[in-house]
Amino acid sequence: MTSITLSGVNKSFGANFPVIRDVDLTIEDGEFCVFLGPSGCGKSTLLRMVAGLETGYSGQIRIGDRVVDKVEPADRQVAMVFQNYALYPHMSVYDNMAFGLRQAKTAKDEIDRRVKDAARILQIEPLLERMPRALSGGQRQRVAIGRAIVRQPKVFLFDEPLSNLDAALRVHMRSEIATLHRNFPAASMIYVTHDQTEAMALADKIVLLHAGKDMLKHGSIAQVGKPLDLYHRPRNLFVAGFLGSPTMNFLEATFVAQEPVGARVVLKSGEELTVPVDGSTLAAGAPVTLGVRPEHLSPVVGPAPQTLTRKVSAVEHFGEYSFVYLEGGTSAPLIAKVPGDGGVKAGDSATYAAPADCCHLFDADGIALNHI
Amino acid sequence: MASSPVARVTGRVAVPVLGLFWLAVTTVPFLFMVMTSFKSQQESFSSSVWALPEALDFVNYESVLNGPFLTYFKNSVMVVVISVVLIMLISAMAAFAFARMRFRFNEALFGLIVAGMIVPIHITLVPIYLMTRQMGLYDSQFALIGPYVATSLPISVFILTEFMRQIPKELEEAARLDGCGPFAIFFKVFLPLSGPGLSTIAIYNGIMLWNEFIFAYVLTSSTGTRTLPLAIWDYQGQYTSNIPAILTVVTLTSLPLVVAYAFGQEKIVKGMMAGSLKG
Repeated sequence: MTSITLSGVNKSFGANFPVIRDVDLTIEDGEFCVFLGPSGCGKSTLLRMVAGLETGYSGQIRIGDRVVDKVEPADRQVAMVFQNYALYPHMSVYDNMAFGLRQAKTAKDEIDRRVKDAARILQIEPLLERMPRALSGGQRQRVAIGRAIVRQPKVFLFDEPLSNLDAALRVHMRSEIATLHRNFPAASMIYVTHDQTEAMALADKIVLLHAGKDMLKHGSIAQVGKPLDLYHRPRNLFVAGFLGSPTMNFLEATFVAQEPVGARVVLKSGEELTVPVDGSTLAAGAPVTLGVRPEHLSPVVGPAPQTLTRKVSAVEHFGEYSFVYLEGGTSAPLIAKVPGDGGVKAGDSATYAAPADCCHLFDADGIALNHI
Repeated sequence: MASSPVARVTGRVAVPVLGLFWLAVTTVPFLFMVMTSFKSQQESFSSSVWALPEALDFVNYESVLNGPFLTYFKNSVMVVVISVVLIMLISAMAAFAFARMRFRFNEALFGLIVAGMIVPIHITLVPIYLMTRQMGLYDSQFALIGPYVATSLPISVFILTEFMRQIPKELEEAARLDGCGPFAIFFKVFLPLSGPGLSTIAIYNGIMLWNEFIFAYVLTSSTGTRTLPLAIWDYQGQYTSNIPAILTVVTLTSLPLVVAYAFGQEKIVKGMMAGSLKG
C-alpha cells in the first residue's frame, strides 16, 4: 500500500499567514499526482509536509496504512528530488547516490548493485566518479533522480525538478520522468510544478491549488481530477482561467432563461447563446460569466446562431496556427486560436462560432454550472 | 559607465604608486630585520642602519638555535595547533547551531558571543591569571590554550555562522531524507562544505596566536613553557639589548609564516576572500 492520504490538513507560517487550508486528498497506489498552482499557493509546502520536512501543521498525513505525522523524513520511505538538485558538492556521483544507503547501514555489495542499476537505468554510468560541479544541469538532475531511485522508496516526491533546465532539456527530462513512472509502477509519485504543460503531460491526477484570498475563502484545493477533466470541466473561474494557453475567454453575460437544451444567456454585446448547463437555480437577469477557450472558437462566414462577431485588433502568426485578437464586448481582448494564418487581418470584422458543448457558464460567485 | 580620460590616467598611475608605497612600508622593516640579524652587535652599532652586513655571518642564528629557541618553538607549535583545532571544532559546531537550528534565544546568544569581540583582552588578564593559578595550570602550555580558544571564538563563530548560512537549505533537507540526524548533517555535510570558512579562521587565528604575547607573558614564567614571542626576552637585559640576536629570533619566528605563505599563497588568499565574501 503506497497510497497517500491527507485529512483536514492546515498549516500557517506564524499566527497570521495561513498557507495551506482544509486539504483533504487521497493519492492512490502508484498514481502520478501533480500539485499545480500559482506562486505562493503552498504546493511545495504541501509536498514538504508529505516528505516530513515541514512540521507544525494540523490534520493527519498517512502513507499507506501508517500515520506519519511524527515520523522522521528518512523513515517515511519517501525520496525527494529537489529543484536545485541538492547534490552534495564534496561527494562524487557514486557517493551521492550511495550516501543514503550507507546511512541506513546497507551492505556494501547491495549498495554497489543498487547504485550501478540506477546508473544504468539513467544512463549515467560513465559519470559515477565525477564530482557534481563537473556535470551539466541535465546530468545533475539525472543523478538527483538516481539518488532517489536507489532508496527504492514507496513514494517519489519531485519539487519543480525541471525548472532549472532549458526548454529543450525540460521536454527530454519530462519524458524520462514519465518513463521512470512506468518503470516503478508500484511507487506513488507527487510532482510539484507551476507549469501546466508538465502537469497535463505527466499527471494521472492534478491537484490545482488556490492562492491568496481564494485559498482563504474556498480552501487550498481548487479542483482535483484527471488532467482532461480539469481542462474540459473546470469547477470554477480560477480553474478555467489557470489551465490552457492562451487562457479561456471570459465574457460578461446575463441569464435569460433555462431551456431544455441549456441556459440561454445574452452577452453585453447583444448576442444570445445557449450553454448546455443546468441554470435552474438562477433567476432571470442574474449576472453570469460565459467562458470559451480560444481553440474552440472557429471562423464562420455569414450570420449564424451561437456566434460572436468582433473587429480584429491584431493577428499573431505561428505558422501552424494563429492567434486572432478581437476587440469589443470584454475588458480583455477575446482570443481565437485558428489554424494557419487565420484568414483575417487587423481591422477586419470576423465571426467565430462558439460551439455550445465547448462553452462554460459561471454564476456570480464564479462557480461553474453543471453541464447537462 | 565610462570613466573620463583624466580618471583613467590617474587610476593607471595612482594604483601602482600606492602599491609600491605599501610594498615599501611592509618590506623595509622586514629587510631591516633580516639584514641586522646577520650583523654582530658591534657592527649593528657602528654601521649605518641601512648598511648591508659586512659578511653573511650566521653567528647570531647559531647562538639563538643553541639556546632555548627550539623549546619555545616546540611550545608555540603545540599551543597554536591545539588551540586552532579546538577553535575550528567548537566554532563550527556553534556556527552550525546558530545558522541552522531553531531554538529560543538563538539570535540573542549569537549576539552575545559576537559581542565578545569588543572586550579588550587586557581587562581579562587578572581574572584569568587568578583562575589559572587556582586551577593549578599556571606556567604550563595548557594555561594558554583556554584563553587562546576563548578569545578567538567570537570572530570565528561570526565568520563561520555567516558562511554556513550560505549553504543551501536543500542540502540539509536532502541529508535528513538520507537518514542523517543533526550530528551526521554537521560532520558529513556542513563541516566538509565549510572548508573555505574553516581555512579562513585557521589562518587568521594561527597568525594571531603565533604572535600572541600578553597571555604568554602573564600565564607562563619558565623557559620550558614559554612560547616564541617571549624568546626575545632572553636577549634583553636590564640595561642592554642584543639587537641583532633579538631580530634573529624575530626572523626565525616569522619564518614559518613566511614559508607557509610562500607555498600556500593561493589557498590562503582564496580562504581569506571566501570568508570575507561570505561574511
